[in-house]
Amino acid sequence: MSKPALLSLHQALRKSFQGLESNQKVWSDVLAECSPLMVSLGNLAEQWRALSNVQLSNTPLRDFPDLEERLRFKLVQATDTVLCKLNGKMSSLQSVRDSISNQVSAVFQLYEENTDSLDLLTVTERSVTAPSLSDMLEWLQDAERHYREQYPFCSCSHWVGFSFYSGSVFPQVMFRFLRRKTLLQTLRADDLSLLESAPKRWKSFESPSAEDRITDTLCKVSFFIKS
Amino acid sequence: MSLRLLSVDPSDRGSQRCRLGPRLMSALGLSLGSPLLVSVPGGSCLCTAWPRPDLAEGFVQLDLKCSSPGLISHPPTHLTLDPTQLTPVPCPKLKSVKVAVVVQSVEFKKHTAARQVHELVKDMLKGVYLHEKHVIDLENFDTEIRYIVVESISADAGSSGIITSKTGVEISGIQTVRHYRSQLQDQDSVPLGGLEGVSASLREMLQLPLLYPDTLSSLGVSCPRGVLLVGPPGVGKTQLVRRVVGEVGASLVVVRGPEVVGSRPGESEEKLRAVFERARSAAEEGPCVLFLDELDSLCPRRTGSSAPEDRLVAQLLTLMDGISQSDRFLIVGATNRPDSLDPALRRPGRFDREVIIGAPTLQQRKAILSVLLARMPVCQSVDIAELAQRTTGYVGADLSALCREAAMHAIREKSKGSGEQLVGVKHFQEALKSVRPSCLRSSLGRTELSLVTWEQIGGLDDVKLKLRQSIEWPMRYPEAFVRLGLSRPRGVLLYGPPGCAKTTLVKAAANSSHCAFLSVSGADLYSPFVGDSEKALAQLFSQARACAPCLLFLDEIDSLIGARSNSHGTNSVQTRLLSVLLNEMDGVGLKTLERRGTERILQAEGVEEAHTQEQVDFQEVCNNDVMVVAATNRPDCLDSALLRPGRLDHIIYVPPPDQQARLCILKACTESMPLGADVCLEELAEKTKLYSGADLENLCKEAALLALQEENMEASSIKHTYFLRSLGKMSPSLTAQQIHTYQTSPR
Repeated sequence: MSKPALLSLHQALRKSFQGLESNQKVWSDVLAECSPLMVSLGNLAEQWRALSNVQLSNTPLRDFPDLEERLRFKLVQATDTVLCKLNGKMSSLQSVRDSISNQVSAVFQLYEENTDSLDLLTVTERSVTAPSLSDMLEWLQDAERHYREQYPFCSCSHWVGFSFYSGSVFPQVMFRFLRRKTLLQTLRADDLSLLESAPKRWKSFESPSAEDRITDTLCKVSFFIKS
Repeated sequence: MSLRLLSVDPSDRGSQRCRLGPRLMSALGLSLGSPLLVSVPGGSCLCTAWPRPDLAEGFVQLDLKCSSPGLISHPPTHLTLDPTQLTPVPCPKLKSVKVAVVVQSVEFKKHTAARQVHELVKDMLKGVYLHEKHVIDLENFDTEIRYIVVESISADAGSSGIITSKTGVEISGIQTVRHYRSQLQDQDSVPLGGLEGVSASLREMLQLPLLYPDTLSSLGVSCPRGVLLVGPPGVGKTQLVRRVVGEVGASLVVVRGPEVVGSRPGESEEKLRAVFERARSAAEEGPCVLFLDELDSLCPRRTGSSAPEDRLVAQLLTLMDGISQSDRFLIVGATNRPDSLDPALRRPGRFDREVIIGAPTLQQRKAILSVLLARMPVCQSVDIAELAQRTTGYVGADLSALCREAAMHAIREKSKGSGEQLVGVKHFQEALKSVRPSCLRSSLGRTELSLVTWEQIGGLDDVKLKLRQSIEWPMRYPEAFVRLGLSRPRGVLLYGPPGCAKTTLVKAAANSSHCAFLSVSGADLYSPFVGDSEKALAQLFSQARACAPCLLFLDEIDSLIGARSNSHGTNSVQTRLLSVLLNEMDGVGLKTLERRGTERILQAEGVEEAHTQEQVDFQEVCNNDVMVVAATNRPDCLDSALLRPGRLDHIIYVPPPDQQARLCILKACTESMPLGADVCLEELAEKTKLYSGADLENLCKEAALLALQEENMEASSIKHTYFLRSLGKMSPSLTAQQIHTYQTSPR
């Protein structure tokens, strides 16, 4: 049994669990900031729907020139702003994910370097204060997988749901797709419903149980971190 | 040490982990997270090794994130693995990988840019261990991308490796889950025997437009889009379609008639339109077959009054016409009652081709049986050719039932403890008794025969010989018949005085040749409705032809048919029946619907084949017809047209027994009786001139009864006096004059 390898690995694990703890906080804060934005996005979608349902020429408002176009422009602008903010949140989520991934892979690399000196008995040995190495590595991997599974959801909904406004705000990926939509100037009903359902879907991505598991893990290793 | 396979923990799902005991891990030289290939029946699975949280040995849990395609549809359960089935594999970092993506919906496939898919795939694959030809299950990501099929990985890496952020990912294609699943399913379908011709033509119709689209369009030909499969139930129409679809790799959209019909007006049409729409969208991904099973229920003949089905029929017609050339799907309909279909369906442009699958011929039965038996442990002594001969009139479904029944018999026997694992001849013989051909079910003249052998009939040796010549020989020695250019007789008429064993002779003939045997009497045929009897007779013949070679026995044909010349009037039922019979026996040709198999002509110069094979060929050519056997005791009443060669060509007189024959009959009748020592059968035979076979049998019975009467139930043997006494009481049923008329009466 080689002490130094074990010690250095413990050190790295300690560091990455601390990192995980702080990142988890950042992640949940960002998500909390996102939810009002999603609600306002839903509101905007409702306004879009209302605007497309109403025939302005049949109302007293017909005297205002270009009212429909103006309203539409305002809505586009508002949606753009919300989406822009969401996009910013997205990139901070991504940076959280990436930093977790990097920490975890660094720990694994360290383990792989020392595989020869650590036999399975050492790796699976547990004590009162510290869980075994294999358990901790497993938890770290689970956490990383959780964040990786969460992220594509967001990005996916982000692409499919909000893809039809002016291209300037959005990542170049969607560019061609958007252009056509802006040219059409009308929204397809199913797209609108996608936009309307966006907040709901956003909610459904949150999985409290998985989030709890990470909290559990952090509790399990709390003694180990402090020792 | 063996390992029990447990189902995976929910928390491990999607982690690609394989949980093992730590001792086993160190025995295999594995460290945490080392890649490991686990082979299970049906495929293999690439995992990373992790110790179990409770560190217990003797169990294994697999997460099937990266596994062979076969394991996706049938995940392994309740298995015991051997540690040798786990092998550590080196997994270097991959330079490049080529994958196909399986997505949930067609919309995603259409509306998503390739780059975006690429980015998602790369993101999801990062850190995953891959094996060549395996499928990555991405269910727990819960996105539109469901599976990623690994097609090839960079050559220097061997067969497996890990994806890093530097790995180049190339996407070769995107398909939907439904298409992928149907492809997976078709890989394990059963082969079909005896339908090669039909399946080849179906396959051609499916593949031609796909392989040579330019050729077809340059010829200005629109490729056929509809096939109607016609055949009796159980010949394998549905199976055939599934099989061909599987071979071609097309997707299959099945419509069962009743499923489409809805209760509200217009609902059925709507459902039908939805089905066509589904087929159209499936056709965008590759070849597709829309299969309308039991078409007769979906599309019955339209009547004058407007029934709700008429609208459905009209909708189907318009939908079939509305298929544009760009929709590359084939419509296959299957029915067993083509006559009840709407005639408008059966024209080119809708169902371009009609493929008739008849009841299997001898050759086809042999092919079917060899396919069925290939998967069973069969005893060496089971001869497929002979079994095929014994199963006239059996369709594919019957044959598979037969094999199942035989296997069940074998299992039952095994459970009794004899330890025999093979299915033997006796099991098949048992099964043949319980499984009857479905061609003949609900047929008029289906009769169960009691076993009668030629030996049980005393005397009449030339008659037996003649019957054997016409019934047994064509079956036994077909090659001799073909060599001499002989054809099997169409019909045999047995005539003679009553009670001279005509019926029994036919029974024995049917038993000795393993033909199907149908027997009708007047009660079966006559009906109070005009035209019904004729129809019944015609149907009887068509059923008999479906299971040829077949013996059709018309007992008492004089009362059944009669002659045209006598005074009944020209339009009685009998005359009409006679005309039906004449037509059926020697008509112009067969109805198209009764076609069976492919036309087979023997060629003199051919490849030298095995002898048995040749014999089977001869069999097929020789015995493809129905043979009519008629019996009468009033041959003078028969119409002369019936008696000419080509119809009833062998006319055999069954004479009353002479002295020698009577002796034989008496011997046969008294075989089971305990005769007294003084009984002299020769004397009896001498005294019973003009007695028929039935009379003699009666005589023996009377004598036995007399013995019981005299000796109060304790009689142990029948003495000669009883025979003589009962003979004194009886008189012969035949008269010399009667026999004289038979002998002189020509046809």
